[in-house]
Amino acid sequence: MLNKTIVKLAIPLAVGALALTGCGSDSGSDGAVKIAFQGPLSGDNVALGENMQNGVKLAIEQANAKGDLDFELEYVAGDDQGLPDKATAAAQKIIDDEGVVAVVGPAFSGPTNTSSPLYAESGLVTVSPSATNPLLTDKENGFTSFLRGVPNDNQQGAGMATYYAKKLQAKKVYLIDDKTDYGVGLATVAEKSLKDAGIEVVKKSVPAKTPDYSATAKDVVNSKADALIYAGYYQDAAPFAKKLKDAGYKGAAISGDGTNDAKFVELAGDASENWFLTCPCTDATVEAGTKKFAEDYQKEFGRAPGTYSAEAYDITNMIIEEVKKSGADVEREALRDALAKASYKGLTKTFAFGENGEFKGTDVYLYQVKGGKIGYQGNINELAG
Amino acid sequence: MSLQEFWDYLVLGVMLGSLYAVIAIGYTLVYGVLQLINFAHSEVFMLGAYGSLIVLQLVSPGDNPSALASIGFVALAMAGSALFGGVTAYGLEKVAYRPLRRRGAPRLIFLITAIGASFFLYNLAGKLFGRDPLPLPEMYQNREVFSIFGAGVNITQMLQFGTAVVMMIALDMLVNRTKLGKGIRAVAQDAEVAGLMGVNIDKVISRTFIVGGVLGGVAGFLFANLNQVSYTMGFIPGITAFAAAVVGGIGNIRGAMFGGILIGIVETMTVPLLGDEWRAVSAMVVLILVLMFRPMGILGERVGRAA
Repeated sequence: MLNKTIVKLAIPLAVGALALTGCGSDSGSDGAVKIAFQGPLSGDNVALGENMQNGVKLAIEQANAKGDLDFELEYVAGDDQGLPDKATAAAQKIIDDEGVVAVVGPAFSGPTNTSSPLYAESGLVTVSPSATNPLLTDKENGFTSFLRGVPNDNQQGAGMATYYAKKLQAKKVYLIDDKTDYGVGLATVAEKSLKDAGIEVVKKSVPAKTPDYSATAKDVVNSKADALIYAGYYQDAAPFAKKLKDAGYKGAAISGDGTNDAKFVELAGDASENWFLTCPCTDATVEAGTKKFAEDYQKEFGRAPGTYSAEAYDITNMIIEEVKKSGADVEREALRDALAKASYKGLTKTFAFGENGEFKGTDVYLYQVKGGKIGYQGNINELAG
Repeated sequence: MSLQEFWDYLVLGVMLGSLYAVIAIGYTLVYGVLQLINFAHSEVFMLGAYGSLIVLQLVSPGDNPSALASIGFVALAMAGSALFGGVTAYGLEKVAYRPLRRRGAPRLIFLITAIGASFFLYNLAGKLFGRDPLPLPEMYQNREVFSIFGAGVNITQMLQFGTAVVMMIALDMLVNRTKLGKGIRAVAQDAEVAGLMGVNIDKVISRTFIVGGVLGGVAGFLFANLNQVSYTMGFIPGITAFAAAVVGGIGNIRGAMFGGILIGIVETMTVPLLGDEWRAVSAMVVLILVLMFRPMGILGERVGRAA
């Protein structure tokens, strides 16, 4: 009897669900030109995604407010939680929305890897302000719709290694990746650069979401390393930093753009003091070119722009610039080809792409946590001397 | 690994293991009385951590609280987590399991309900408290207090281990010396006969849930004190503690304590020997080995018998 009831209930439910999804797909017919963002808008590293989302939103709002467009711009959010397995659904949702002509993102390397084939197939261009794994622009992948708006981890990893070798004169470096595409990519490059500089390297993998970092911290201290590189995101870097402090680690510590967020300092507290953070991004609140942007951002969202906010803003403006040239009836493929060839001088840097959508440009910047704030230091290669 | 390093990791392993043990007790208690794996227990643990966070945000310890104030803050946070854990577990039993029990639903339905409740609570917490991890405010200045075999122990670790041991001893006494404990043991052994003998089964079961929930909630606070609070924090420790409960013998309270500490030591020792990537693997290898050679767990099932 129970089975019959279930069947009776299940059929109308299933039909209803199908009907609903059917209705959902023709939402793109209202004529507006839409720009999407794909990144973590929920989940463990949501702060990194929101930084960029706000940049995109601000650019769209300002363009609409200016009034020189003969069409309306609209924002579409694609939440992938920063997870590769959630990324395809987020990408498909964006692709199915016919009004979307370009995507800012995906934000993280893992999700870029899994969703780029879908974008390539649909001809929808994605310009990432932050996905830094070097392999993403590999020709064999065939990610024909992927453009990278940031120097890749070959630069970031090498920058970390150079700084340790030349400036801090480290002898032995303990190198950790978090087993994500981003972490492994960054660590691999850093390891090679460190070894080339003649530094001894202990390389370990510590998967993200490890419940207790005490043993790892002890291992770092016991290894007698005088410097440490953590290649991963702030969610795990923070408890790890705490445990390092508890374990009595006295050496230098550095992490990349995945950790470069105020949230890292908030979660780790005192333990984050003196941590170095690298980023191919500049500090929008410090650099002269982005002062105005930082003020607008502060006014709009009630907080200072974070990592990659200004870059996402720039990329959105670059897309708007290209869309303007062809008007509201812009085609996805045409826009992709136009963007790939474009050169756009943004507030932060000039965006231009080389072969396979790789970013032209190599600047990486160094930050350091001082007095509970992430302080901007400058270009890492210049600082290393 | 030098002898000193061995002691270092052993101490860390016992610390971590004591937390697993406290969570594992929650699984074992519920299994003992209902023969049900309460997969929502990891969410009881997670909500306990939020409970302590909410209390601490209300009282907001300043930057450098005095020693006495520190103890007060810790006690308040612990009470908050115990309350949240207990209420969640009680609610779970009342809403999710009792109706099934009334209708005599098959075992499988209980299990599916448990998983559903776990998903529900986990997403509800994300919705209510935000999906961003949050730090627990600092309640005291952490520093090294003493050392065992040269392995330094700081305040956080002392708090963690001390609380776990006190809770385990208290639970052992509760089960073996009190009327409620007698009831729990009776229901675990044979619910029907216990009912005929005048034991109020519903009452015993919901109190068992509350006891497990309080322990799980406090463990959530201790865990958050180590790391941070997030709505995803329950899953991994929950699964590990469940494995620990099975290793010790699910349904056996002392087995859960033993299994928890064993798994904690195995995981921690794996880090210097094989690397962090292998810690979950080694814990599961222990589980598989135990199941192969002693399917009832190392100490076997015995909530129903006088321990």
